[in-house]
Amino acid sequence: MKITLLKSFLLVGALLCLGFAQAQEITGNVSDATGPLPGASVVEKGTTNGTQTDFDGNFTLSVGENATLVISYIGYSTTEIAVNGRSSISVTLTEDAEALDEVVIIGYGTTTVKDATGSVTSVTAKDFNGGVISSPEQLIQGKTAGVNIQQSSGEPGAGISVNIRGSNSVRANNNPLFVVDGVPLSGDNTSPSGDSGLGATAVRNPLNFLNPSDIMSISILKDASATAIYGSRGANGVVIITTKSGKAAGTGVFEFSTSLSVATPANEYDLLNRSEFLSAVTQFGGDASAVDFGAATNWQDVVTRSTASTNNNLSYSQNYGKGHIRATFGYQKQFGVVEKTDLERITGRINVTQRFLDDKLTLRFSGTISRVNDETAPLSATAGFRGDILGASYSANPTWPNSATFTDGGTQILPANLLAFSQNRTNTDRFLLNGSAEYQFTPELTGKINGGYDNSESENVSVISSNVQNLNGIEDIGFGVYNRLERENKLLEATLNYKKEFENSSLDVLVGYSFQDFQSRGRNAQGRGFQTKSLNQMGDDLRATVKGAESTISGSFQQFFYGTNSNGLIVNRLFPSVVAGDEIGFGFEKAVSAMTADVFDNTDELQSFFGRVNYSLADKYLFTATMRADGSSRFGPENQYGYFPSGAFAWKLNEEDFIGDNVSTLKLRLSGGLVGSQDGLGYGNFVARQRFAGVGTNTDLTVNGSGLTIVATDVPSLKWEETLSLNAGIDLGFNIDRFTASIDVYKSETTDVLLRTPPASPAIDPFQFGNVDATIVNQGIELALAYDFIQSQDVTFSAAFNMAYNENEVQDFGGAINTGAINGQGLSGAFAQRFEAGHSLYSYYMAEFAGLDASGQPTFVDQNGDGVGDVFQDKIFVGEDALPDYTGGLSLNLRVKNFDVSTYFAGQFGFSVYNNTRNGLFTSGSITNARNVTQDLVTSGEAAGTSADVSTRYLEKGDFVRFQNATLGYNVPLTGEGLFKSMRLSVTGQNLFLITDYSGLDPEVTVATGDLGSGVPTRGIDWAAFPAPRTITFGINASF
Amino acid sequence: MALSSCTDLEIEESDSIISEGFQGLADASSTVDQLYIRLRDHYGNQSNRFALSEVTSDAAIVPTRGTDWGDNGEWSSLHQHLWTPEHVQVINTWNEFNGSQLIASQVLDSRSNPSATNTGDASFIRAFSMYTILDYFGQVPFRDVTLPSSSVPEILTGDAAVSLILADLDVAIANLPSVSAGSGDANGRASKAAARFLKAKVLLNKQVFNGSGSADGADMTAVISLVDEIAGEGYDLQAGYFELFRDSPDNETIMWVSSEVGNRIFNGLHYNSTSEGGGGWNGFATLAEYYDLYEGDPNSNRVALDETPLDGQEERRGGVPSAGLPFTSRPGTTDEGGFELSSNVGNGFLAGQQYALDGTPLQDRAGAPLTFKRDFLDGTGSPSIINNDETTGIRVIKYAPRFGAFARHEIFFRYADAHLMKAEAMMRSGGDPTAMVNELRTIRGATPLGTVSEQDLLDERGRELFAEAWRRNDLIRFGQYTRDWLFKAPASINNDTYKLFPIPASQLLANPALIQNPGY
Repeated sequence: MKITLLKSFLLVGALLCLGFAQAQEITGNVSDATGPLPGASVVEKGTTNGTQTDFDGNFTLSVGENATLVISYIGYSTTEIAVNGRSSISVTLTEDAEALDEVVIIGYGTTTVKDATGSVTSVTAKDFNGGVISSPEQLIQGKTAGVNIQQSSGEPGAGISVNIRGSNSVRANNNPLFVVDGVPLSGDNTSPSGDSGLGATAVRNPLNFLNPSDIMSISILKDASATAIYGSRGANGVVIITTKSGKAAGTGVFEFSTSLSVATPANEYDLLNRSEFLSAVTQFGGDASAVDFGAATNWQDVVTRSTASTNNNLSYSQNYGKGHIRATFGYQKQFGVVEKTDLERITGRINVTQRFLDDKLTLRFSGTISRVNDETAPLSATAGFRGDILGASYSANPTWPNSATFTDGGTQILPANLLAFSQNRTNTDRFLLNGSAEYQFTPELTGKINGGYDNSESENVSVISSNVQNLNGIEDIGFGVYNRLERENKLLEATLNYKKEFENSSLDVLVGYSFQDFQSRGRNAQGRGFQTKSLNQMGDDLRATVKGAESTISGSFQQFFYGTNSNGLIVNRLFPSVVAGDEIGFGFEKAVSAMTADVFDNTDELQSFFGRVNYSLADKYLFTATMRADGSSRFGPENQYGYFPSGAFAWKLNEEDFIGDNVSTLKLRLSGGLVGSQDGLGYGNFVARQRFAGVGTNTDLTVNGSGLTIVATDVPSLKWEETLSLNAGIDLGFNIDRFTASIDVYKSETTDVLLRTPPASPAIDPFQFGNVDATIVNQGIELALAYDFIQSQDVTFSAAFNMAYNENEVQDFGGAINTGAINGQGLSGAFAQRFEAGHSLYSYYMAEFAGLDASGQPTFVDQNGDGVGDVFQDKIFVGEDALPDYTGGLSLNLRVKNFDVSTYFAGQFGFSVYNNTRNGLFTSGSITNARNVTQDLVTSGEAAGTSADVSTRYLEKGDFVRFQNATLGYNVPLTGEGLFKSMRLSVTGQNLFLITDYSGLDPEVTVATGDLGSGVPTRGIDWAAFPAPRTITFGINASF
Repeated sequence: MALSSCTDLEIEESDSIISEGFQGLADASSTVDQLYIRLRDHYGNQSNRFALSEVTSDAAIVPTRGTDWGDNGEWSSLHQHLWTPEHVQVINTWNEFNGSQLIASQVLDSRSNPSATNTGDASFIRAFSMYTILDYFGQVPFRDVTLPSSSVPEILTGDAAVSLILADLDVAIANLPSVSAGSGDANGRASKAAARFLKAKVLLNKQVFNGSGSADGADMTAVISLVDEIAGEGYDLQAGYFELFRDSPDNETIMWVSSEVGNRIFNGLHYNSTSEGGGGWNGFATLAEYYDLYEGDPNSNRVALDETPLDGQEERRGGVPSAGLPFTSRPGTTDEGGFELSSNVGNGFLAGQQYALDGTPLQDRAGAPLTFKRDFLDGTGSPSIINNDETTGIRVIKYAPRFGAFARHEIFFRYADAHLMKAEAMMRSGGDPTAMVNELRTIRGATPLGTVSEQDLLDERGRELFAEAWRRNDLIRFGQYTRDWLFKAPASINNDTYKLFPIPASQLLANPALIQNPGY
């Protein structure tokens, strides 16, 4: 009622004003450097009287005689122009990158930097990292304080690790929620992992399907006030990816970009060559003649390579007044610096926006279709004592000839042999469709319906032929894995938005409903005993056999398999009733001797109700309150719904009279809220579930059937994990924001930690998901500074710097969980990290190395007071962890006329890396057994045949500064008359140099070496990690 | 706050059978199959149950050879009696057998509708699982599957635990089939004989479990009659010791499990011992004092190419041939160019120089002669469990690789053990076991003993049952588990703490009724 009264009052006031003013009609045209600008907003200053420019940039408006027009358009400087009695006005808007910055995409809406109450950072295309970018998150690596994006590997398409404000969860998936154009992704992998014969290969990055060049901006929501709108999935932060639209395009622009990149391994190990190796074997008491195979091979060079990659993108965009469109096509082929690793991506994308019914109805559609073809070498983090192809190449005897058919008759992996006779390929097709309809019921009230559909289908085929040597059960037999994974994610959302400006305040209310459905299904199959040695034929045979067998089965089934001990295809069925070992004969061609297959199919649902109120008073005091209720099918009736409230307050002090004019921005922000996390929990962990246990082919080509087993025990009390987070921040700007600074202080406490822990015995699974009584505290400070040193017509120079400090601690936990498996010869069961109260996550726990004694044997500090320093009995927390305390980035940008240079440095400090590669491979035990080692071992004084167990001997400081990126660009001066409207040439170098004391290849590394079954992930362990490439990219961008 | 829902958010039964809480198994027979698969996996591994029984005794040691077998100290700490509640094999063993116990309870639940045979199998496996946990840990957590899964299991110790196990075994004996000796595949599952064997084992060890320290006469009588009942189904001692450890039927095998025997073979062999299976893993060895339990030359253990002992050793000590054993007409073997692949490895206890198939003396990887030595010395020549070279320690082979390294046939219960249990029961109830022990020794080609003392009986068990995972159990029952042996930590000698393994630390948090065993 009050609102209605207020409205009437305002209306009367406006009429009165109009009555007194002398109205006149004005026509005009708005353009930018490239031509007319359709859709620009023209408003009479101080009124709500306004219009938009049409297709040709023209407008007509009735205004008062002394009116001033405010002309604005996203991405351009807002221009004010006084009418001064003129009847026609022509305005050219200039592009303003700063203005573009100001709009920040937040959950279910946008805000501006000035009006944001939460801790939100947005990075737009102009600030993205250049060079070879295979995945969107690499665009913003190091650009934002408190966002630690780890290069988990230098492999093309490798998985990601994005930590916002430390690690809140203790599960493998600590990644934030990714939202692409309003569709929250499932967060799960979209491609199955293959088996290299030595262990599973790393999973691919689920964001690979997005073409980085299609991305306009990436917003990072850091505090609870910003992420609470995503409720039970917001605890690790939210990354909102917005793709480019045709909005700023005008009358049709083609853009074309192409680049060629050359990559080399940035660093390599200092291994022994032939003669050094033979003399080292003698030095360590071996018989050099017994291990000399006559050749001189640099195995590191055999396995790694220099490569050239290309990336090509073509886009067309147009803004035609009532809407705009952008369509793109991209093709990227990236080769890794390890043989047989590459990524091919073909993407198409279209964004369409169309307005109807006097611009009241806006329809938007966007679609991405992508095909990613991955190939990987036999790489595996869990390859065990021999290492994967990289570990094998480091330890390979340099006197072995570089021949695929050579064998020493021993037990080591032969790099040339394994490379030649193995193949691991993954194809992933994915499409993401998103359509929305937005209707403006009244100037204040808008409703929107948003639908999303995300579908991916992926197949991995990895085979090792019978030509391989020294691999038991594969040698002379052949082995292959054929895995299929399909995911389908459906989204339906409806929101209502009410925006109202009052005299001295404004109100923005959002309410919404969201339903999301995540289905994953697929089949894991393996075959052993191949007739062919051709890798391609092996893959075809395996696929044909699995599909052939499957097609002969009627009815529902969980598993089907056969071996040389089977008289028919054996089928295990669950529905409609359990049938174990149903033998149905061989109605298909058996191209492999033994085959097993197991199917899965499950669906998770998420239903949510949410609301947000933004209220701003006098443009000085900003209030936000958010609430989301999330219901998830991952939890039972006891805890199906979770409620996630948050609140925030901001005070724009610079609007106060007592603040001087030279302070252009001074804003204080306070926020607090509760968010949840359920990632990594997976399907059906709160109920009791039965399935047939896994089956596999035996090395003698038989297959043993399996029985029904309990795969999940009911935990009715299971619930999401909760993070309470508090944030206080100050934004500062001086001299019309020529200098800006932003400081945030935060603290978050995660409780009800979702973790796989041992239930009370007897239990079937020694680990089961539960909400563990523990608190994980993250607290820290983030600082971002930017200064425009020079702002002249011809020369600009600016610098931006960010730094974050984070402190992590586990509290109130009664147990101790060992994790961080260390692999290598004699290192079964070895680990380096422990999860325990009073210490950070990923804290190192091991014996303290006390040097080599006179006889060259390692000694250790006695901790338990028994007088003997024992590497196993005297383990302690050594005061180091794998989470960086400080992370920082520095960007410098210089433009002189048409030339520009941008450089970017990144650094991480206060963390340690466990050099598992050195521990597992470069020991005297290795050289004694005729495995190659690094130069420094020879002079280390280590005795022959010493044991090499986990200790601080192999724990090193990881601190580094990396010259991550440098781009030199030249904008070719064009008249605009010719075919090309603009053209830019650039050369970009990535990973140009690294300053670190770390003795391995690169300290920014995490190899998932194993968690000893606990589910607590590893971090900071370097086990023959994929070498980081150094890349030089030459690029051309043109528009026409 | 009640929310009107557009979906009920219930998960669908799409790829697994779902119930809220345990409501019975969907197919008891299939789950019983899985229980046997678990038994196979748990028994066949060199870690966990096998290592806890052998490596913690005087029968086995896994020294660190260069970097090999360091493995976070899990092997050395077992042999030295320095394990802690975090020892991964202690935790795994606890988890494995408790898990099988719970699955068996689920089979036995009436809602799972088990058949009589299902009931017999599940009762047997539950009894074996609880027996193993009681033997190792002194306390058995027991979960009533009719209660919610969040309920805390009760803890059974001493006579209460023994009663529960014996009750299960009586149900097993009643429901399991009678399988006569030499039945081949049928001996691959539990039978009345297997259940009686286990019952005899439990009764014999009852004095340890309940802490009474002396055998109960009625129990010993029961042991004797159980062994007699087993014999009544045709089980008997059989000549040809190493032929017993093949996948062909014989009268001694009461029950076997389908574990691949390669694990037992490759553990001890050197990388260069055989080309089969990619060579050995060069780990497990035995102490010289254990090897010296056998008669024969202490420094040499050779056999002729027809396997005739050359060093005065008895049959069970086996021996090393000077070349591959010629193919000739040995039954059940396959031809490999005149030699059986890996027939150069020999049987039993491998000491001294080892030879290739063609008679060439083998070398280790550093080029030194491959001679397996009695002692464990480090690079400086001092006795040590770490920093050994590749040749220290006498190696043990029970399943000859030439009979098929990947044969899925590992002896679980054997009549010779039952025979010795009966002898022991007689001794513990005042009788004389000499005749029974000598009956066995005669079949094995060993010199009969004058009179058999308690020590002799323990030694005979050691000789007959080496590498069959009974050594710890025997040493404890005979009061010798805490005595000194090579490399045992000084503080652990005569320390009763190590007679039981510690309860895993996480379990003490999960179940407040569990009390850590004394000393840990």
